[in-house]
Amino acid sequence: MDYPSNIMKLPSLSTKNLSLIIMITAINLASNYAMLWIPNVKFMDLFVFISGYVMGAVPGAIVGILTWLIYGTLNPRGFNLPTLAATCVGESLYGIVGGLSAKFGLGSELSSMNTNDDKIWLVNLKFGIIGFLLTFIYDLFTNIVTGIVFGIPLIAVILQGIAFALAHEISNFFFFFFGFSSLVTLIKKLVFMGVRKYE
Amino acid sequence: MSERTGAKGLWMWISLGLVCLLIISIYVAAYYYNESERYKRLYERAAEDLKRLLMPVNILIDYGNGTAKWYNGTLVQRESTLFEAIRRVAKVEYITGQYGVFVTHINGVGGDPNRYWIWYLWNPTTKEWTWGPVACDAYVLHEEEIVAWRYEQF
Repeated sequence: MDYPSNIMKLPSLSTKNLSLIIMITAINLASNYAMLWIPNVKFMDLFVFISGYVMGAVPGAIVGILTWLIYGTLNPRGFNLPTLAATCVGESLYGIVGGLSAKFGLGSELSSMNTNDDKIWLVNLKFGIIGFLLTFIYDLFTNIVTGIVFGIPLIAVILQGIAFALAHEISNFFFFFFGFSSLVTLIKKLVFMGVRKYE
Repeated sequence: MSERTGAKGLWMWISLGLVCLLIISIYVAAYYYNESERYKRLYERAAEDLKRLLMPVNILIDYGNGTAKWYNGTLVQRESTLFEAIRRVAKVEYITGQYGVFVTHINGVGGDPNRYWIWYLWNPTTKEWTWGPVACDAYVLHEEEIVAWRYEQF
């Protein structure tokens, strides 16, 4: 019996997107290992968000999960399966929200702006705020999982991790603020517009 | 209509920005509250440790000219002598004789003819001052004991 084609059809993943997923995952891993000495300050979250923004929610989530599958397994701070699962789920959130942001037209004005445009700061600020709030949700979620896994009360986990959470959230605010618009513009120019040119 | 939507969007972003600031404020407040509680516990533990090592005594210095000053709750090491205690609260000059230390000056007062620094012990039962039975460096103080130094004419 043949399955109806619309049920069997998987979301399309072009070679271009697949290459970009692998490349951004590699960049994430390289930057994560390079920044290992700074706890909770990483470019990874921004890159995952951008992946979702330029390719869609599913590829963005894949970048987040793939990065953590490798980084969480080969990590000098140790391996813990429930924590790995939590970080994979949490990280995929950046990709999903990145995809949704693009879908709902957030930052769509970027394509008609240049770096000297005054309004670009407003767009940057919006993405800085999104980065901060997403990181807050990510930290809260991973703290809840850590508390459950290690049997530590949630309040104690949050109190112990305040300095790390603040470093994570504030650094991500700045990374999203300063990095998002320029990187998205660059990736779109290099990858998408470039491909279209030679098609 | 679009102006209204734009204003609504702006307020939404301002609100989200304020939510970020609120989160930071809560984190900072929780962090400093936690730190204050930690230091309070450390202080209380240190105070308990000190209590085991130190004891309070009450010292009166009467200069014999109408000026008298109390040093209540002076913390001294347990098994301290009165001589060690008076040196904690005043500048003392002394000579050492065959019976022990003899205080000649307290805070620069002393050395007048026929006037000497004499120490007294408060008797809580009789409610009277009694002469110190030994030289001040031979008298070991007890917790909450009341002693007095008086510059007297003989």
